[in-house]
Amino acid sequence: MRTYDVTVIGGGPAGLAAALSARENGAKTLLIEREARLGGILKQCIHDGFGLVRFQEKLTGPEYAQRFIDQVERGGIGVSTLTFVTRLERTQTGFAVTVVNRDGVETIQTKTLVLATGCRERTAKQVSIHGTRPAGVFTAGTAQHFTNLLGQLPTKRCVILGSGDIGLIMARRLTLEGAKVLGVYETKPTPSGLTRNIHQCLRDFDIPLYLSHTVTRVLGQDRLTAVEVSQVDGDMRPIPGTQELVACDGLILSVGLIPENELAQSLGAELDPKTKGPVCDGQLMTSVDGVFSCGNALHVNDLVDYVSESGELAGRGAARYAPAPRREVAIRTSPALLCAVPQRLDLNRDNSKTPLYFRSREVLDRCALRLRVDGREVFSKRYPFLRPPEMERLDVDFTRFGLDENSQIELDIEVMDHE
Amino acid sequence: MDLRKTNKRLSQRFGGAVRATLSDGCVVLTGWLSTWNEAVEACQMAAKKYGAVHVVNNIVCDEAVAQPMRLPSLRDGALEGRRPDVLIIGGGISGASIARELSKWKLDILLVEKEADLALQASGRNDGEVHPGVDLSKGSLKHRYIRKGNAMYDQVCRELDVPFRRVGQYVCFDKGWLKPFIALYCLWRRKHDGIEDTRVISGAELKRREPNLNREFKFAVSNPSSGCVCPYGLTIAYAENAVQNGAQVSLNTAVLSMEVEDGEIKRVHTNRGTVYPALVINAAGVFAEDVARMAGDRFFSIHPRRGTNSILDKKAGARFSSIASIMELARSRGHSKGGGIVHTAHGNLLVGPDAVETFEKENVETRPQSIDAVFAKQEKTMPTLNRGDIITYFTGVRAPTFEEDFIIEKGRKTRNIIHCAGIQSPGLTTAPAVALDIEQMAVEELRKKKAVAPNEGYSPIRHGVPVLRDMADEERAELIRQNPDYGVIVCRCEEISRGEILDALRSPICVPTVDGVKKRVRPGMGRCQGGFCSPLVAKIIAEFLDVPLDQVKKSAPEANITFGRTK
Repeated sequence: MRTYDVTVIGGGPAGLAAALSARENGAKTLLIEREARLGGILKQCIHDGFGLVRFQEKLTGPEYAQRFIDQVERGGIGVSTLTFVTRLERTQTGFAVTVVNRDGVETIQTKTLVLATGCRERTAKQVSIHGTRPAGVFTAGTAQHFTNLLGQLPTKRCVILGSGDIGLIMARRLTLEGAKVLGVYETKPTPSGLTRNIHQCLRDFDIPLYLSHTVTRVLGQDRLTAVEVSQVDGDMRPIPGTQELVACDGLILSVGLIPENELAQSLGAELDPKTKGPVCDGQLMTSVDGVFSCGNALHVNDLVDYVSESGELAGRGAARYAPAPRREVAIRTSPALLCAVPQRLDLNRDNSKTPLYFRSREVLDRCALRLRVDGREVFSKRYPFLRPPEMERLDVDFTRFGLDENSQIELDIEVMDHE
Repeated sequence: MDLRKTNKRLSQRFGGAVRATLSDGCVVLTGWLSTWNEAVEACQMAAKKYGAVHVVNNIVCDEAVAQPMRLPSLRDGALEGRRPDVLIIGGGISGASIARELSKWKLDILLVEKEADLALQASGRNDGEVHPGVDLSKGSLKHRYIRKGNAMYDQVCRELDVPFRRVGQYVCFDKGWLKPFIALYCLWRRKHDGIEDTRVISGAELKRREPNLNREFKFAVSNPSSGCVCPYGLTIAYAENAVQNGAQVSLNTAVLSMEVEDGEIKRVHTNRGTVYPALVINAAGVFAEDVARMAGDRFFSIHPRRGTNSILDKKAGARFSSIASIMELARSRGHSKGGGIVHTAHGNLLVGPDAVETFEKENVETRPQSIDAVFAKQEKTMPTLNRGDIITYFTGVRAPTFEEDFIIEKGRKTRNIIHCAGIQSPGLTTAPAVALDIEQMAVEELRKKKAVAPNEGYSPIRHGVPVLRDMADEERAELIRQNPDYGVIVCRCEEISRGEILDALRSPICVPTVDGVKKRVRPGMGRCQGGFCSPLVAKIIAEFLDVPLDQVKKSAPEANITFGRTK
């Protein structure tokens, strides 16, 4: 039976970084990937803009991934591709990982686990789109797979629902392929994607963005023939009487990503309803001892650079892990925050340079993040603006605040008075 | 049947716009009404529940402009000149089960289905419940077949390698004072109607069995013989077994018209050529009335009734293991089963269906109101039911007659047709038993013309595609050793391997479309709804067929997925 110190599940950017960091920290490491090639979703992200934070370079997705894959292939890490994890079980010394691949069924022993399982896209039915079930309704990632990996044009004339980054990227991509993108419709009154993508993918190509609009119905028996779009009210409900039919052969959905945590849940890991990822401490260990989480399985990221960073953090945590009693304290967030990671700290670990990731709930100008312990502000940082689509990251030295298990830690955002 | 009374009531309600007359043993309604719901109401006023004299609806209705049946675009001569002993029209559960039972005999059997796959309409768009029959009383055909059909399920599903479990059904009550009345009702059903297993259980017992149901339920009617089956899986299995035994299934094949001479169907025109059958079996679902009309044997009418079901994530499926619904006293007059929550054969939860009259036989659009209505009711059955767990929803159209009973009989005017019509809930449950009777009727009819001998090569056993995710590790490893493709997972949500997908493509009725594969081995049925695997499945199909990827369709030949190479 194969045994490892650290087993990383998922060979996308998070898992690649986790495996490298686990190895650097001296762990015997296995990386499991269900697809034939490493790289995860980056394989189909052929646009540039990856790695600005990490490498100060504009790379394409495959280029960014390759920098990590090259390091992994330099050796020292066990890699199992086309291998699918069917079951995780706790053992006395760690975990048993059961996998299937072309060689059969194998159970691998590991001391710790890093779950880098990524996320999936929300589908048409999960955003209450009704009507018929024709061909031509794709999530943006599926359309991207057809276009970029299989070289097939999924639509000639389409509507895009949702202004998430993949939707914006696909608006540009399909336009470049000769398809007509009739418009991007966004239910919210503000865009969901990065500002740079609104400019580079829509404005530069004269693709209209319709805010406070949604698709309510699809038409067509075999292939999509039209969609019905409606305006929505303040509660994002369609306003009767505003329906309009838009003739098209494709509907591309970019309506949100859901972290994939079925494996984490099978081990009993507690999930955060805000991030939909596991509740983690500063080392990105979940509520299950020895199980770490990173990347889009932990929380949905907009920049791959932070995905890699969380992978490194989780890989290091897993490699250095030794069973120890926890001394935990929760980091609470005020309603001004959409979510924050980590959700708690283990005071028995090193929290002197803990990356803190957060998103604001609303678009805010001139505001400050405030960290309070027992009601007393101990740290703050000013921001000229905060936008929910753009995750913020900062390092915090939590050792300065004299924390103990009973400390009340709260993160809040305050809009500053106009002077 | 007192026609005078009927006409008096019709006249009171519709002021002489509609009239009932007795013609050829049918109650024929004629006249003019503006809405379809009025037309249905008028016909229902004239119909006797479970009666053998049927209402024929000839009311002209402003709203319900007859829409032509959607036809496959395919035109060829593949069936030209075929002279089958039996032509079965319709590839739903009825047609498929009849084909299989008839394949015991040395007969030339041709089943035609206008859709691109089997079970694409009502048979694939229902809740999959194998009913106990607790709501049926003696005298109806539904009742005649329900217990027998229900009892046959263990054997049929074993033979056809289709998963089936008797998970039990609970009809739940929140008013304790009803208990003695319901206990009497159950006693009556047991003694009078032969529903042997129906029992009243206490609220505490219900709580013990299904802790996530509404804690306020005071008692429930328990029917342990209820079960759950994959309805399209069973239909496909029946048809595959028929094909293994020599029957032919022709998909994308619609009956366009018939020529009837001297009370016999002589020629049946399809989009794939003219067929000369000795006997026709009408299992055409919502189009059964149209087929009967073509055969010169229209003595009943179908009034389509739409129902929408939601499928919930398997995580929700883990919270409940049977079938249940709240019974509400103030129930609108309905004829279909009231819907409920079902733990499906695949481990999801299914919630629904509702029941809405419609003149559109083929409109399977979903509407938000249906989901709202069903959840409003079923949240009372299970308060933790969460719409956030919905992964998909679908609409099916039932095919009831106004008498709300099945029609299983030989033609009244045309000799060489057998109708299997008006099939609605519990038609899935009754199908195995109905098929046996129709087999007998057909053989009897054919024997008037020729000798009918047993098919010596007949085997009732069909092997489905192995389901690797349900296997023990050793068994799974052994299969992967024999075929390494079983170790390559393509659909991560449902854990479906490349090997299983290729098996589906090599099955007796190959439907090489993304939906065809999905129906057979489930890639795309999970929580991501094919987001990850649909391009991979399309690619496997393209390689299997050795065609460019843009030739792979979602379902029908017009359902293009992609439009060719990028620049």
